[in-house]
Amino acid sequence: MTLFVDPELLRLMLTMAAPLVLAGLGELIMERSGLLNVGVEGMMAVAAACAFLTMLKTGSLTVAAATAVVAGIALALLLALYAVALASSQLTVGLSIFVLGTGLASLLYRVVIGVTTVTPTTRTLPSLAIPGLAGLPFFGTVLFTQNALVYLALLLVPALAGFFVLTPLGLRLRAAGENPRALDTVGVDVRALRYGAAAAGGALIGLAGAYLPLAVTGAYSDGMIGGRGWLSLMVVIFGRWQPGWALVGAVLFAYTEALQFKLALVTKAIPPQVLLMLPYVVAIVVLVRLYRGAEPPRALGQPYRRESRV
Amino acid sequence: MTALARRRLADATKYVVAAAVATVAGALVIALMGGNVLSAYRSFLWSSLGTAGGFAQTLNKMCPLLLGGLAVGMARRAGYFNIGVDGQIYAGAIAATGAALALERATTPALAVLVVAVGVIGGGLFAAIPGALRAWWSVNEIFVTVMLNFVAAFLTEYLTTGPWNDVMAGEAITRLIPDAATLPMLSVRAGSHVGIFIALAMAGVVWLLIERTRWGFEVRALGDNARAARVAGIPTARITFAVLIASGALAGLAGAIEVTALHHRLILGLTPGYGVMAILIAVLGQSQPAGILVVSFAMAVLLVGSDSLQRSIGLPASAALVFQALIVLSVLFVDARRAVRPS
Repeated sequence: MTLFVDPELLRLMLTMAAPLVLAGLGELIMERSGLLNVGVEGMMAVAAACAFLTMLKTGSLTVAAATAVVAGIALALLLALYAVALASSQLTVGLSIFVLGTGLASLLYRVVIGVTTVTPTTRTLPSLAIPGLAGLPFFGTVLFTQNALVYLALLLVPALAGFFVLTPLGLRLRAAGENPRALDTVGVDVRALRYGAAAAGGALIGLAGAYLPLAVTGAYSDGMIGGRGWLSLMVVIFGRWQPGWALVGAVLFAYTEALQFKLALVTKAIPPQVLLMLPYVVAIVVLVRLYRGAEPPRALGQPYRRESRV
Repeated sequence: MTALARRRLADATKYVVAAAVATVAGALVIALMGGNVLSAYRSFLWSSLGTAGGFAQTLNKMCPLLLGGLAVGMARRAGYFNIGVDGQIYAGAIAATGAALALERATTPALAVLVVAVGVIGGGLFAAIPGALRAWWSVNEIFVTVMLNFVAAFLTEYLTTGPWNDVMAGEAITRLIPDAATLPMLSVRAGSHVGIFIALAMAGVVWLLIERTRWGFEVRALGDNARAARVAGIPTARITFAVLIASGALAGLAGAIEVTALHHRLILGLTPGYGVMAILIAVLGQSQPAGILVVSFAMAVLLVGSDSLQRSIGLPASAALVFQALIVLSVLFVDARRAVRPS
């Protein structure tokens, strides 16, 4: 039993959940406004490369994270430009941005670093023990000795939930994804809202991409996102487009990932590649249940055309 | 000008714009890497089209791109996105390699046919998972196919480093398959293999299947309007299942050809993202076999050309992916501009 609820395991779980939470919330904001962004994986890759390269050149974690955020915003706005102004198929554009991001991340790294025998590394975000709480038995280790971005991700969940239900802007954003025409009728600019949602979502997705090199590996490698962008899209569906439930989904996926690390340490009988498959197989199993009763925002993926007849 | 001629012209403009964007982006990257743009472009074209060896390379690359493009295109005709071509290529390659290694003693040339057939089945079965989940559980095929890409890649890593590993090689590659399981070369000197003819034949088969059969009509009906198709009595679940299996089988064929005609073994990194490029190829080719054929040739030229620039000025292999995506985004841009403001 201790194998599955070990405090170190649960601590790792939250550490690995943070990028899924950040990217998941970013995607959630976009989807609630009606924008379907399937390019998350590529956006995170570009953000990861930008963050790592900036970190290497400036040595500042803040500047590195900020660069990644800017990269995330830029790519999300590119998607929004096609989705909002040009009314393109969001699926097609999103997939193109996925490919663009995958290639661009690798290209940026090669152009700046070149071909080296030694992989350059940087220091990573230190863990930040919360005074008074870090000493608690069990929970102290799990919750209160994390890095700053984990705390940020966890705090963003209630903040975003509150934003959606308590503020007028949150209501409008949700309306843009449910019934943009009604919103337009009362004089709210649907396009501006969607661009805004893209910028906010892109910022969080960029931060999620930066998280991996800055907080976990201290290095960049192609394919390091490892499907987390796609998982974050599932997290949104898992969460039924609610931040709180999205957090549950992110934690679930992160648990299987952490468990796989742990199992690799404990057992030598199972080939490591089989363990590495585990999170993806679990994701497929979860998917089977995921769609039952899931109701996306009604205008998700549809361009809003003011002149079109209903 | 007639309306049709005007539309043809607009279509042509679109690809010219896209090619121009890619050319300028390419020049930028080359200049950034400190290369001479003009001579780089000359060697780009020369290495992919100018020499027999280069042209053979281009045809060899075109084979998986064309088959992958057909795989994505076929699923798209039914309204689905198969993002798992890379995984299905691996599945086909694994199945083919497994069959060839199991029959290591066989000497009959029919072995190659059998091995390729096993590869096709392998790719089809691997795609049956997203197919069944989509058809009867309405699970989004994009997620399942993406997740299975990772599963297939790890399985390949396991097999190439574990049970099938070539102990003498010291890399993630399997033992060589027997000679009887290999497909013949077209030109031994240039280095091209027969795969391209198989792929071209499949383009014809897919066209016939989609455009000239009852099954193809049902696939198109499903893709055009799923609800109308269901109401009209088309067995949409069964069609969904079948079309995704067929899509996977095409990818599996590509994997089997890479093993039996090119590498003669399973290697990790067998597909450097052919499946991802196949998405773009299908989009650009508008999911039509003829369009996919033309685009996959152009993309093969792009791949082989940038490969030569990798050797001469160190242009990273990933640059090709960026150019391809830029081409698609430019085409989508021109397309959308026309849709928004009809002349």
